[in-house]
Amino acid sequence: MDGPHDLGGKRFFGPVAVDEPEEAFHSDWEARMWAIDHAIEPAPGWNLDWWRHVRELIDPVDYLTRPYFDQWMQIEAALLIDSGVATIDEIVSGKAATAGPDLPPPLGPEEVRAASKRLTRYDRADGPAPQYKTGDAVRANAVGAAGHTRLPAYVRGRVGRIERQCGAHVLPDAKSRGIDRAEPLYTVRFEAEELWPEARAADAKERRACVYLDLWESYLEPA
Amino acid sequence: MTTYDSKRVAHIHRELHDHLPSEPALRVKALESLLVEKGMLNRAAVDQWIELYTEEIGPKRGAQVVARAWNDPAYRKRLIENATAAIDELGFTGNATAHLRAVENTTGVHNLVVCTLCSCYPYSILGTAPTWYKANEYRARAVREPRAVLAEFGVAIGDDVEVRVWDSTAELRYLVIPERPAGTEGWDEARLAALVTRNAMIGTDRDLAPARKGSR
Repeated sequence: MDGPHDLGGKRFFGPVAVDEPEEAFHSDWEARMWAIDHAIEPAPGWNLDWWRHVRELIDPVDYLTRPYFDQWMQIEAALLIDSGVATIDEIVSGKAATAGPDLPPPLGPEEVRAASKRLTRYDRADGPAPQYKTGDAVRANAVGAAGHTRLPAYVRGRVGRIERQCGAHVLPDAKSRGIDRAEPLYTVRFEAEELWPEARAADAKERRACVYLDLWESYLEPA
Repeated sequence: MTTYDSKRVAHIHRELHDHLPSEPALRVKALESLLVEKGMLNRAAVDQWIELYTEEIGPKRGAQVVARAWNDPAYRKRLIENATAAIDELGFTGNATAHLRAVENTTGVHNLVVCTLCSCYPYSILGTAPTWYKANEYRARAVREPRAVLAEFGVAIGDDVEVRVWDSTAELRYLVIPERPAGTEGWDEARLAALVTRNAMIGTDRDLAPARKGSR
C-alpha cells in the first residue's frame, strides 16, 4: 500500500546519525519492548507479514516521528485490540479487566535459548515452478497494491534483470490476509540509471551503482 | 481472532494515538503489566532475552564467520554457496537467518545492506540492529545515494567501484563479507575477527586495515 513506510528513494531526509554508541540496547524500555515482542504470542492468527502491515498502518505522522520501539509497542497494542484479547482501556491502564485468552503458558526463561535458535523458513518445496530464469529482463508492476506488499514504490514500472531464482516463498500480500500461498521468488538487479533519473546526468558519481531486491513472481512481467 | 482488516487497525492506531501517554517508557510498562496479568508474558523470559542478546548474540558472531572465511577457502566457498548452513557450523543460526546470503566485497565491488520497507536484519549473527539502520534517513537514502550515505560514515568509494545495494524486501537476509586487509598475513582467526566491525558486515564500513585511524 502507499504508506509512510515505503521510504526508499524519498528525498531530503537529513544525515544519518552515524555516531550512535554500539550497544545492544540504548535504554531499558527499548530492551524490554524488544524482548516482550520475542516472548509473547500477541493474538491468535497473527503472523509476521500481518505484524509488518499493522506497523505500516500506524498514523503517518506517528510512523515518521515516534521512536522505533515505541512503534513496536503500538503494533502489539493494536494486535491485542484487533483480536479482542485486550481493550484500549486495559492497554492504557496496564490493568486486566478480563482474563487472557485460553492459550498455552507463555514462553519460560528456560525456553528462550531454544527459541533464539529456531529457524523459521519461508520457502515451500511444493510451491510452483519459476517462470523466469537468470538473465531475463523483467518489469516491476507499475500499479501499487491496495494492501500489504513488498514491492517498493521506487521500482514500480522499472526494468531489471533476474540475478537468481530463490525457490518458492510465502507471498506476503496473501499471508498478511491470513492466506499461506507460495510463489516463485527472485533476486532482481536494477541499475541506478534505471531507478534514478538524476543519476544519468547531474549526480554522475552515483551512477556506478545498482540495487538488488527480492521480488515475487506476481510483482513482475516480462520486459 | 485476528481480523486482517486494514481499516479497522488504522482506526485502532488513531485511538491509541489519542489515549496513550506520550512517554514511550510508560506505554511499555503498562503493556508489560497487562500482559503479565493476562497470563501471556513471563517477566523472567523478557530478562532472559535481553541477557542473551546483550551478552552472547551480537556482531562478534558475524566477525568470527568473516575471519574464518578469510582464513579457510573451503569455508568461504560454503559461506557463499549456502550461508545459513555455513553459520550453522558455528551454532549461529536462529532469529532471521533461515535464508541468509553472504555477499563479498572486492577491489571493484562494495556491498551495502538496507531494508527500505521496515527493518529486516540478520539478528542471530549481528545482534540487534543499530538505530540508524532502522531510521527514516538511512532507509530513504541508501538505495538512491549510497555514496553520499557512505561518506557520512567516513567511507570514500572510488568512482571505479560498483556499489551494490541489497534491499531486504523478502525473508532473505544479507551479510557483507568485507575484504581482508593487507598486512594481516598469517593472523589467526581470533586476531582477524577483532578487525571486523559490525558496520563492515552491513556495508557502512570498508577498509579494515589494522593501522588506520579514526575507524568506526
